[in-house]
Formats: sequence, structure tokens, C-alpha cells
Amino acid sequence: MVGSPNGIEPNITRGVIPKIIRQIEDLFNILAAMTIFFVMLLTTTGVFSRLIGAPLPASLEISELAIAVFAFLGAAYAQRQAAHIRLELIISNLPGRFRWLLEMFGSFLSLCLMLVLVVYSWEFFLNAWIIGDSTYDYEIPTWPAKLLVPVAFTLWAIRLFIEIIGFGRLALEPNAIPYNVPLTLTPEQEARLEILHSGAGGDGSFAAGKD
Amino acid sequence: ALAGGHSATVEGPSVFWKLSTWGNPRAFTAGIEHLSKRLDEKTGGKFQLKIFYGGQLSKSRENLDGLKANAFEMAQFCNFYHPDKNPALMVMTMPFLPLTDFDAGVRVRRGLYAHPILSAEMDQWNAMYFESTHLPQYEFLGRGDVPKSIDDFKGLRVRAGGGIGVAMETIGATRQSMPAPEVYTAMQRGTVDAASFPYTYSHGAYKIDEVAEWFTSNLTPGTSDCPIVINKSAFNALPEQYKELIMSLRDEVKENYREAYKKADAKYLPQFKERLTEVVFSDEELAKFREIGGQPVWDKWVADNKDKFDAQAVLDLAVKLAKGE
Amino acid sequence: MDISALIAGQPNAIFGVGYSDTSLVGAYVMILLLVLVFMGVRVVFAAGITGLVGLVELIGWTGAASIVGSVPYSKSVSFVLGLLPMFILIGYLAFHAGMTRLLFQAAKTWLGWVPGGLAVATVFAAAGFAAVSGASVATAAVFARVAIPEMLDAGYKKSLAAGVVAAGGTLATLIPPSAILVIYAIIVEESVGALLIAGFLPGVFSAVVYGLIIIVWAKFNPEAGPAIKGFTWSDRIKSLPGLIPIMSVAVIIITAIYGGWATPTEAGALGAMIVLVTAFIHGMRWRALKDALMETSKLVVMIFSLIWGVLIFGRFLGFSAVPEAFADWILSLDADPYLILLCILLGYVVLGMFMDAIGLLLLTLPVVYPAVMALNGGPDVTAAESAFGLNGTQASIWFGIIVVKMAEVCLITPPIGLNCFVVNGVRPDIPLTDIFKGITLFFIADVLTIIGLIMFPGIVTWLPDLMFS
Ligand code: NA
Ligand code: NA
Repeated sequence: MVGSPNGIEPNITRGVIPKIIRQIEDLFNILAAMTIFFVMLLTTTGVFSRLIGAPLPASLEISELAIAVFAFLGAAYAQRQAAHIRLELIISNLPGRFRWLLEMFGSFLSLCLMLVLVVYSWEFFLNAWIIGDSTYDYEIPTWPAKLLVPVAFTLWAIRLFIEIIGFGRLALEPNAIPYNVPLTLTPEQEARLEILHSGAGGDGSFAAGKD
Repeated sequence: ALAGGHSATVEGPSVFWKLSTWGNPRAFTAGIEHLSKRLDEKTGGKFQLKIFYGGQLSKSRENLDGLKANAFEMAQFCNFYHPDKNPALMVMTMPFLPLTDFDAGVRVRRGLYAHPILSAEMDQWNAMYFESTHLPQYEFLGRGDVPKSIDDFKGLRVRAGGGIGVAMETIGATRQSMPAPEVYTAMQRGTVDAASFPYTYSHGAYKIDEVAEWFTSNLTPGTSDCPIVINKSAFNALPEQYKELIMSLRDEVKENYREAYKKADAKYLPQFKERLTEVVFSDEELAKFREIGGQPVWDKWVADNKDKFDAQAVLDLAVKLAKGE
Repeated sequence: MDISALIAGQPNAIFGVGYSDTSLVGAYVMILLLVLVFMGVRVVFAAGITGLVGLVELIGWTGAASIVGSVPYSKSVSFVLGLLPMFILIGYLAFHAGMTRLLFQAAKTWLGWVPGGLAVATVFAAAGFAAVSGASVATAAVFARVAIPEMLDAGYKKSLAAGVVAAGGTLATLIPPSAILVIYAIIVEESVGALLIAGFLPGVFSAVVYGLIIIVWAKFNPEAGPAIKGFTWSDRIKSLPGLIPIMSVAVIIITAIYGGWATPTEAGALGAMIVLVTAFIHGMRWRALKDALMETSKLVVMIFSLIWGVLIFGRFLGFSAVPEAFADWILSLDADPYLILLCILLGYVVLGMFMDAIGLLLLTLPVVYPAVMALNGGPDVTAAESAFGLNGTQASIWFGIIVVKMAEVCLITPPIGLNCFVVNGVRPDIPLTDIFKGITLFFIADVLTIIGLIMFPGIVTWLPDLMFS
């Protein structure tokens, strides 16, 4: 089993490029978080203005397009934090080198899919751009939202690439301190992380919520 | 000659085609079901056309993209789902095109499909027109005060798409868009006052008559078009005898739709008349509606599209065909 | 594998089978999916990769890659999914708004006097908190802090105190708002509002069954969970005003969805707004808001990725017609429909031992759901002609509630009952073995609840039927 190296943060970043990527990921996730807040405000305003008989034009279509921001931008951030779910039962109990090789192979397959997604979501965007695809009622162009997909996925692909190198390093030296890889936590560790996390932030405890 | 009599079997290789559509089997899919059955019969089971319902293969709005990507060989789509993808075919949504009966609709649609501007439009999607589903004219079903004149539509919240929606807006109604399956609940809860649908089969299929209180029967505000299209590369790859066969079945498919809508009318119209108040507009009222909701909308459409293609020519053709000239 | 055909983008290039035997392709692809999932590949990728492989086999490279490239956007950017972040945000903010403690105190004054009174109070406070929280693990974590210390002080057995918190947390997914019910609705294309409303009574029913089983058990083991006496009516009345914010959120969400004056998404946004304002009044700082938003965003992107990943796989299933074949097979068994349903639910118990609830539902529903619908008689069947006495829509909603309840049971059973680990994390002094022991009682209650929902589907369908008539 692999513990969390510093108890709370599930991974360490080392190297110039990984640190830059990490910053971009953080920025993207902040943008996504702000968009959620913005959609909450816009939707609330929308309800009130409709109830008083002056509906906000296009608020529905704008919040629909805004989904693209929080559905995609934070994906690489979540990958780094090992937030995308998987079945950990077997892999986290495998012995050192074999585990790291398997992790590397899994990340490699994921990268392959991600590259296909980058190229073909770009084509999907391009198509919208060329025909001037727009929303149904207020004819807001959809290309900016569609462009977010290849952008976010490119960052995710880079994250997977960093991860592959990290696992490769561990496969060579199975006992080295893991870095630049999303560590998978056991349920106990996950629970502990959650509690520590909420302890630091005040009194709530909400981190996992994967149900 | 090969595709001639009912008894002759067309010889050829095994072919498996997929047709992408949405929703459950209904009048709208009657023609493609007939096509699939006939292809099977005529080729002794060699030419299989499998219909995938419920948007299994693609979202209804992305069927043209699926053809372009060669994901399937045939599809249905509706022009008003994506005006940007088929700007010229949008002419079929122009309000008050003089489509007096089923055959007028057949003339207009077939004539338009054969026109170079419209076939070029489909070329971009690697698609070619096969046959229309020949949607009937629209009418309105609604709830609340029965509209006696066109002015009574003023202020109503109306679910109408394409040119009919624009026409309703010009007479002072508020246009609302929502997916067809949601109209039932919306009307029940009073968030929409009236909705236009192909008459009568769509109203019946979505059970709008259960929640409505009145229906119009002679407004004929216009229609739209939902063609059946073929993947061009798949068609070109077919042996000649299969190409001939499939094209020879177009008339059968068309007649099938005529029957399907007739059947729907026989079923739903008595039901409507029993449950709902029928609204019949006088000729003067209709003329008034046409004056504000017709020509101005046509002109606007031509002006909006004239940079993309010869919109005036397309509109003129549609009107000419409709009048049977 | 035919490499040159693969490069040329032709179908049949991977397994050499294609449409000549779609069931065989389906079998290969399912095996690949299982291998990848058990290898620990993240579910979004495991599902996406196998979906792509299957599509390439059936329709060739160009079609497959274009479909795969368009699914993430087309399946995510849909107005109804805007609801998810609102529901999740409410859960993250509700604790900061002090809602848990007030609820527990109120429940204590009203219900403390029954046998096992504090445990019963915990169940109903958790049910109340469920009306603002969409996530079961979060609810368990919160109540582990608020309720366990008081129960231990009052002399409650550790296993009971921990068990009731872990189990009480699961109520959050049935009582609206619930993220998982929204996801079910999206996958099976059912009305989100109907699903959310349908969860309400089964959630309450679940809570009542929990409460009753505690009372019965504490009656025979009075030392394990003594009654708490001495609260006056004045105490009870005074506990109510503190519940106003939580009640208003619950009322807004339920009346909006039920009465239709706002869409579920709008109700979610309004609820989040109220909780946010309450949290600020209660002393929450910007820092905590930022953390809540960052955590919400992380969870949201995880769920969205899972949805489109699994829907890529679903596209393959659509082309392969495997679900049709599976449904035909189920029908060909000609066994009692209830027996088949039971087997399916047992399958969920087994899979649930290893998997997360959302992943479990997303991966199984595309195949299992059409089969269950076919078993009942198809999507358009009338109640009279159906196997379970429910029309198509009713059956679809009913199965959704049952399967979500099943997935929740998996959250409290060994070996990976996440709720139990969370309680253990908050209270390391209570060993996991004790917690799992304390769960037994609630596991029995859950089995009773599920039997109840199967035998009396009206508990599920009554409210949605009322809503649509
Ligand atoms: Na809830
Ligand atoms: Na479990």
C-alpha cells in the first residue's frame, strides 16, 4: 500500500514543467469554480426576474453554454488530485514494480484515448465554427463553448503524459518517493484526508461525497 | 427493369445498412419501416436496413454529422433542428406557403430536393435526399380563452418553431421553444398557452389534446420538413441493381406516409372534435394573418439568407411548385 | 487484428467480426471493459477506450472517432445537467450554515424519549439534512461529529452510535436534492423532476424503517441505547425557529419541482443561494466559500467526465444492439419477473462490494435498464398488461429508486463501505469492526425497505403520478 507522502496533499509536484502545468490546472479549476458561482447567481436572478414578469433574455442559453466551463476545465486538476474514480482494490495491493508498470500502462491507454478526443473534439469545434452553429432561440454562437473541450483535454493529455513519466520512474526505482503521480488512497486514507481537509477549512466535512 | 414487378428478386451481395432516427415507432417512421421490409423482400434478405430508434446512434440534431462521419448509411432529420446546417431547406418553414393538400407538398418537396442549391447543401454532409416524411400542415392546440380572431393571439405564449414562430411573433405572441415531449406538461401547468404541431398526427402522438381546450383547423400556418437522407458514399458503393431498387421504392414510401397520416386523422380528428372547441377562422381573418405573418416573413428570410445562396430563387421555386405551375 | 484495414479506417479490423455477430463483439468489448476496470484504469477512460474500440470494430475509424469526439460536448452541455453543481454546492455549504447541529438538537427534544431516542433522533435529523444535501458520504461525516459524541456521553453503545450515522447518511441520496437521481434520470432519459419527487417518500419510508428497528432493538437492549427524558414542550417549540432556513430550502426545492413554478435547476440555484446567505450569517468566511467552490468543481468535473465516458460506451452499445439482445435473453428465460429482478439486485450487491455508487450505476444501467423495462412489458406498456403492475414511466422511476437504494446499501457494507470508513476517520477510537457490526441492524432495515418498495411500488410512484395528473 502506498501512503500519502505528507499526510494530506495526495501528491507532490517536482520539476519546472510539472509546476507550470500545475499552476495552469489550478487556474482552470478556479475558473470552473467561479463559473459555478456565476451560474448560481444568474439562475437565481433569472427566476426572480421571471416571477416579476420581466424574464432575463437568453439567461437559460447562457447558463447552458456555461456548463462547458465546469464540465471540462477542471478535468486535469481532478486527474492530478486522483479525483476521477476507479477500482482501487486490486491495483493498490499489487507489489511495487508490477503495480507501477500497470499504472503506467493504464495511463498510456488513457493518453491514447485523450489524444483521439483532443483531435476529434477540435474537429467538432471547427465544424461549429465553419457553419456558424448557434443556440436555438437567441442565436448565441456555440463555438467558444465547443472550443473549451479540446483546450481542457490538451491539458489533461499533458497531465497524463507527466503521470506516465512519473510512473515510469517509479517502475525503475520502486522504493523512491512518488511524485508527479496521482496517488490512490485506501478508503481509510481517503476518509482521513477528507476529515483533515475539512478540519483545516473550518468545521464541515464534505470532501468525498462520491455517492 | 430489375426493380420492376413484385415477384422478381434482385440478386446481389449482402449489405447491412443502419438508419438513425429518434423516438419510438410511429407514423413518422412508417415509411422507413416499409422501406426496410421491402428491401428485405426484394433481395431475399440480402439487403438489410436496420432502423435504430430512440437516438441510439446519434442525437436527433446530429444525424447529419453522423452521415458526414460515415457512422451510418441513412438517417432522418428535421430542418428546424439546425437552420445553420440546412439554410436553404428552411424555405419549407415559410408561413402560408400555399400547400393545399398532400400532393402539393409532394410537388414542392421533390422539386426542391432536385434543385442544385438544395442538393449541394446536402453534399456538404455527404448526404443525398431520398424522400420526405411529408409532414402535414401545422395547426395550433391551446388552452384558455378560445381565440376568435388573429388579434387574440396577441400576448399568448406560443410554442412554434422556424417561420411559424417568427410569424406568431409579428402578430404579437411570445415565442417559446421547448422539446416536443415537454409541451404536454408545459400546457398542463399553463407555462405555454398554445403549441403548433403537424396536424393531426403529432398533436395526437404527444397527447396534447388531453390537456388542450381548443384547436384550430383551417389556419394552415405552414409546415416544416423532415427528410429521409442517404449517406452518399454508401450509396455510391452499392451495386447498380441495389441503387435502382432503393430509388424505385420512393413512391411506395411516399404513399405509405399518405396512408399513415390519413389513419392518424381518422383516429384523432373525431377525438379532437369531441373533446375540444374547434376554431375556424373566417376568410377575412386568414387574409389578415397572411398579410402580416406571410409575405413580410418571406422577405425577411430572403434578406437574411441572400449572401449564403440565391434565397429568392429557392423561395420562388417553392411557391411556383406549390401552385402547380 | 487486421492492421492494414485498421489504418484504412475500415470496420471489422480489430476482431474481424463486425456486424456479422454483434453479440460476439459485445462480449469481447465487455471483457475488455472488465479487464481495464479491474486493472485500475479510471472508469471514464476504461469506458471511453472500450467504447472507441467497439465502435471502430463496428463502423470503422472515421465514424467511431467523430462520434467519440462529439459525445463529451453534446452529452454534457444540456440544461438539465446544470443542476448537478447546484445540488453538490448546497451540500458543501450546508454545514457551514450550522444546519446540522440545529437539526440534531431539535430532533433530540422531539424524539429523545423513545427507546434508543438519540439514535432515532440522528436518523430523522439526517433525513432532514438530506433535504439540503445531495451526497451521502458528506452527511455521514457531518453527523459523526455532531451526533456521536452526544450518544456516547449518554451511554450509547459505540457500534450503535457509529452504525446509525453511517446508515443515516445514505438517506441523502433518496430525499431530494440528490445528484445520483439526476444522473439516473439523464442516463435513462426520464424526467429529472419526476425522479427527484419519487425519491421523497421512499427516503422518508427508509428513515421510518430505521427508526422502528432501532426502537424495537433498544426495547430489548435498553442498556445499548437508553431513552433521553426531560424535555418540555417549551424546549420543543423553541427548537423550531432554527429550522427555518433548512425548511425553506427543502420547501423551495420540493414545491418548485412538484408544482412547476421553477425548473429543478432553478430550484437548486435558489436553494444554494439561501444556504450561502445562511452560512454567511452563521459566520462563514470567503475562504470557506472558495474551498467549497473548488471542491464542488472537482466533484462536478469528475461526475461529468464519468457521464460522457460511459456515454461513449453507451454509443457503442447503441450500434451493437447488445442491450436489445440482453433484453431478449432475459425475456427468453421465461422465469418469474420478480425472480429475475431479485437476481439483478443480487448482482448489484456483489458489484457494489467493489465499486463506487455512481460508477456502478453508470456502467450497468445502459444494459440492465432496457432489460428491466422489457421485463415489465416495454416503455409503452399499460399498468394492467405489465409484469410489475406499473406502466412504462412508473416502472422506469420505480426501478431507479430501487437501484439507487441498492447502491446506497453498498456504501455501508464491507469491504469498501465508504460511509463506515468516514465515520471511522472522524472517530478513530471506534474500530471499523465495531462500525460494521453496528451496521447489521441497518442492513436488515435496508433489506426490509427494498422488499417494501418492491411490494408496494405506490410508495415510489404515488407522488410523481400526482404531479403529472
Ligand atoms: Na438529498
Ligand atoms: Na460496500
